Amino acid sequence: MDTNFVGENLGPGKLGHFFVILFFVAALFSAFSYFRAAKTEADAQRSVAWLRLARNGFVIHAAAIFGMFLTLYYIIANHLFEYHYAWEHSSRALPMKYLLSCFWEGQQGSFMLWAFWHSVLGLVVMKTSKGLESRVMSVIALVQVAIATMLLGFYFGPDVKVGSTPFMLLRHAMANAPIFQQANYMSFIKDGNGLNPLLQNYWMVIHPPVLFLGFASTLIPFAYTIAALWKGEYQTWIRDTRIWALFAGAVLGTGIMMGGAWAYESLTFGGYWAWDPVENASLVPWLTLIAGLHTLIIYKATKRSLPITLILLSLTYLLVWYSTFLTRTGVLGDTSVHAFTGEGKSLYWHLIVVILVLLVLVLGLLFYRWKTLPRVKGEEESSSREFWMFIGSFVLLLSSLQITISTSIPVWAPLAKWITGKEIAPPVDPVQHYNSIQVWVAIIIALLSSAILYLRFKASDGKKVWRRFAGLGSVAFLLTALIGYTQKINVPQYTVLLFASVFAVVASFYYALGIQKKLMKMGPAVSHLGFGLTLLGILLSSFNKEVISFNTLGVTIDFGKKTAAENAKESRENVLLFRNTPVAMGDYLVTYEGDSTSSSDPRTFYKVNYEKKDSATGRVEEQFTLYPDAFVNPKGQQGLIANPASKHYLGKDIFTYVTQVLDPTKRTDTAAYKSYTVKKGDSIFLANGFVVFNDFEEPRYEQQTGNLSVKARLTVYDLTKEVGHLSPVYAIENNSYQSFQEDTLKSMGLYARFVKVLPDQNAVELQIRQTNPKDDYIVLKAILFPYINVLWLGIVVMVIGFFLSMYNRITKKEKLPQVLANN
Amino acid sequence: MKKTHVVILVLVAAAVAVIVSMFGDFSTYETFTSASKEPGKQYHVIGFLEKDKAMDYDPVKDPNHFTFYVKDKSGKVSKVIFNGAKPTDIEKSEQIVMTGYVQGDAFHCSKIQMKCPSKYKKDQVAVGNAG
Repeated sequence: MDTNFVGENLGPGKLGHFFVILFFVAALFSAFSYFRAAKTEADAQRSVAWLRLARNGFVIHAAAIFGMFLTLYYIIANHLFEYHYAWEHSSRALPMKYLLSCFWEGQQGSFMLWAFWHSVLGLVVMKTSKGLESRVMSVIALVQVAIATMLLGFYFGPDVKVGSTPFMLLRHAMANAPIFQQANYMSFIKDGNGLNPLLQNYWMVIHPPVLFLGFASTLIPFAYTIAALWKGEYQTWIRDTRIWALFAGAVLGTGIMMGGAWAYESLTFGGYWAWDPVENASLVPWLTLIAGLHTLIIYKATKRSLPITLILLSLTYLLVWYSTFLTRTGVLGDTSVHAFTGEGKSLYWHLIVVILVLLVLVLGLLFYRWKTLPRVKGEEESSSREFWMFIGSFVLLLSSLQITISTSIPVWAPLAKWITGKEIAPPVDPVQHYNSIQVWVAIIIALLSSAILYLRFKASDGKKVWRRFAGLGSVAFLLTALIGYTQKINVPQYTVLLFASVFAVVASFYYALGIQKKLMKMGPAVSHLGFGLTLLGILLSSFNKEVISFNTLGVTIDFGKKTAAENAKESRENVLLFRNTPVAMGDYLVTYEGDSTSSSDPRTFYKVNYEKKDSATGRVEEQFTLYPDAFVNPKGQQGLIANPASKHYLGKDIFTYVTQVLDPTKRTDTAAYKSYTVKKGDSIFLANGFVVFNDFEEPRYEQQTGNLSVKARLTVYDLTKEVGHLSPVYAIENNSYQSFQEDTLKSMGLYARFVKVLPDQNAVELQIRQTNPKDDYIVLKAILFPYINVLWLGIVVMVIGFFLSMYNRITKKEKLPQVLANN
Repeated sequence: MKKTHVVILVLVAAAVAVIVSMFGDFSTYETFTSASKEPGKQYHVIGFLEKDKAMDYDPVKDPNHFTFYVKDKSGKVSKVIFNGAKPTDIEKSEQIVMTGYVQGDAFHCSKIQMKCPSKYKKDQVAVGNAG
C-alpha cells in the first residue's frame, strides 16, 4: 500500500487484531498445558505446574475475547465505517439499544459471542470441576482454538483463507472498488448500510445471546463426556454433567422459544413455529440433550445405559456444530426463510474440518473404551422407571433423526440426484410434513414423561401404580372430552394428543402436589408439567388458529390433507381496508383509521380499530386499537417490511400485520376544496359526519392597526360523537395582504381554511376539503390464536423445573468419595 | 434377547418405515414443462423474474391476486398467478422459488421464496457528498 489514506482511525483495528491473535495463542497454549497436566497426572508436582500455566492461559484467552468484544463495540458505537463490519451492519441512525444486535447479524460477531459464552462457562468449570479439570478444560480450550481460527482471517496463498476477522478494513474487503484509489475516500463514506430492519426489535436484542448461551452450555456435558472416556472412569463426572445438562436444557429451551416468540411478535410468518430449517437446527440438539440427560439419570440410579448416554451427550454438541454448518454456510439456500448469507467456500470447509475433528475424537475414544465400559448383566423389569425412561430417550433420538433427515434435504439432495436423477425438494407443505410424524412422538413422550414419575427404579409396585393411573386417566379423559368438545378437536391423532397432554398435565401436577410435596424435589414433576402444558398450548393455539382476515370463516391451516386448489384458496388471507371504512372480520368490525410517523422512529404506524358488537343489542362489547407498523421503502428498496401488532387476552391473541400499503410517494389526493358561507352555529355536512362553526377567537397577542388576525373555532363530529376541533386562522396585514393558516384533522382526513370575513352578512367563508377515503388504504392480515398463553406458560414452567432440579443437585451432598461441592 | 433390544428393534423398524414413507412426501424441483405433465400436482419451480413483462397487482380490485412472468431454468417463460399480496422487493430478486401447480396456461403458486443476496446489504459503496 503506497497510498496514505486520510481520515482513517486504524488504532482500534490493530488492537482488535492483537486480541484475536492473543485469543488464538492463549487458547492453544491453555489447551496444550491442560493436556500436559492430564498426561503428567502421576507426577503431582509437574502436573500442578502445567495446571497453573494452563489456568493462566485460559484466563488470558478469556480476557482477549472480552477485549475483542469491547474493541468491536467501540468501532460500531463510534461509527468507524472504515471497518467493513461496522459499515456493513450499522448506521448512524441506528438507536443505541440495537448496537449490540449488530454483533449477531454478522457471522464473525456470532462466533465471537459463542466464544465469549464458552469462555465464561469455562471459567466456572475451571473453578468447579476438581479432579476432572485438566481433561474437561483441555476439551473446552481445544474448541476455543477451533473458534479462534474462524476469526483469524489469515491467507495462505491467494485462494486459501482461514477464518475472517471482524476487524477487516472496508478498503481491504472491497479492494477492487475504484473509490479506494483515492486517499481521501473516507470523506465520501458518510454512513453504513445499517442493520436489517427485521433485527431491529427487542427480541433480537435478547434472543441471540440466550440461544448462544444455550448452544455454548452444551459444550460442558460434551467436555465432561470426553473427559470421562479419556480417564476411563465413569463415576466422578456424573454429578457435574447432570447439573450442566440441566442448565443447558433450560437455557437452550428458553433460547429456542424466544426465537419462537420473536417470530410470533415481529415476523410475518403467522406463528411461532414454522418448522423452518433454522428453527429445526436448534431444536434437534435440544432433543438429544434431553434424551442424554435422562439416560444419564438412568445410569446414575442403575448403572445401566452408560454407552447411549456417552453417545447422546457427544452427539448433542456435534449437532450444535452441524446446525451452525446448516445455517451459516448458505447450504440451505432456497429452503429457509431466514438462511443467513454464506461466507462462501472457506467457511464451508472450515466447519467441515472442525466437525470431522470432533467426530474423530468422539468415535476414537468410544471405540477405544467400548469393550471396557461398565455394563450391568441381566434385564430391567418392565415395571421399572429405567425401562420406560430409556424408551422415551430412544424415541427422542429417532424423532431428531427424522427432523434432521428432512431438514438436511439440500445437503443430501445432490447424492439423491446422482442415484435417482431427481432433484429432491423439501415437502410442499413442511408444517404438515413434520406435524403428521412428530405428533406421534409428542403423544409417546407426553404419556411417558408423566407416567414414569410414578414408577420406581429397579421395580415398581404394579397394583398401586395402576390404581393411580386409572384415577388420573379418568380425570384426564373427562377433561379431554370437555376440551375436545368445546374446542372442536375432531381429528383422531390430535384427539389422542389432547388426551396425552392433558394426562401429562394432570399426572405431573398431582405428583408434584399430592405425592412429592417438597419443593426442592419437585424439579422433574414441574418440568414435565411444563412440557405437558407446552404441548397442550401448541395444540390449542394451532389447531384452531383462525385467519380472520379471510372473509369466510377460517379453516385450520396446518392439519389435515388438502388439495392444491384448497391450498390456493386458503392463501387468500389478505383484506383491503380503505381508510375509515369498516370491514367485518370474524366477530370484529375492523377500521383503518390512518397512519402516523415520527421523526425519531423510521417506522410508519397504522392505526387499526377493532370493535365487537353484540348482534342483538348493538352495544359495543369489546373495542381496541392495534398499531401494526412497517418500514416503508427502507433504504433504497421498494415496498415494506412489516412488524405485527397483537392484542393479548388471557384466552386468545389477535395478531395483525400489514401486507401492503399505498406507496406514499404515489399517493394522490383527488379531493378539492369546497367553499361554504356560514354563520355562528351553522353546520357543514361531510360524507361521514359534520362540522359546526362555533365562534371566533381572537389571538392573544396585541393587534396593531391595519392588522387583523382571527381564528375560527370549529368542532368536528362523526356520525355519533365529537371527534375533534379545527382552528383555521385568517389574517390581514396593512389592510391589504390576506393570509390564512390551514388546520387539519388527520383522523377524518379533513382540511379547513378560513378565507373571508363577511361583516355585512355576519358570516364567514370557509373552505373545507375531505380526502377521498379511497385515496388511502392498507392490505392487512389478521390471525386469531386461541390459548397461546398456555404455550408460553408451559415453557416458563418447564424452565423453572429445570432450574429447580439444578439447584437441588448443586446443594445436595452426594455420597461419593470425592465431594465435588463448591469450596 | 433382552426386552430392551426387542423394543429398540420395533422402534427402529417403525422409524425406518416412517422415514421411507416420508420420501413420498418430498417434492421435486421441476420446470414449467415437466410440471405441466401433471396439472394440479404441486411442485417446486426455480426461475427468474421476467422484468420486461408486466407485473399486475391492484389491491383495490383484489388484494390476493398478483400475476407476473417467470423464465424457468430451461428458458421457458410462463405466467404465474400468486394468491396473495405482492411480495416486497420482487423486482430485485435474482432468483425465485415457487411452490405450486400448473393449470391451464399459468402456474398457480401458493408460496414464493426469493433470493436476494443483496436484500439488505449491498456490497457496493454508495458515494455521495450529502451528509
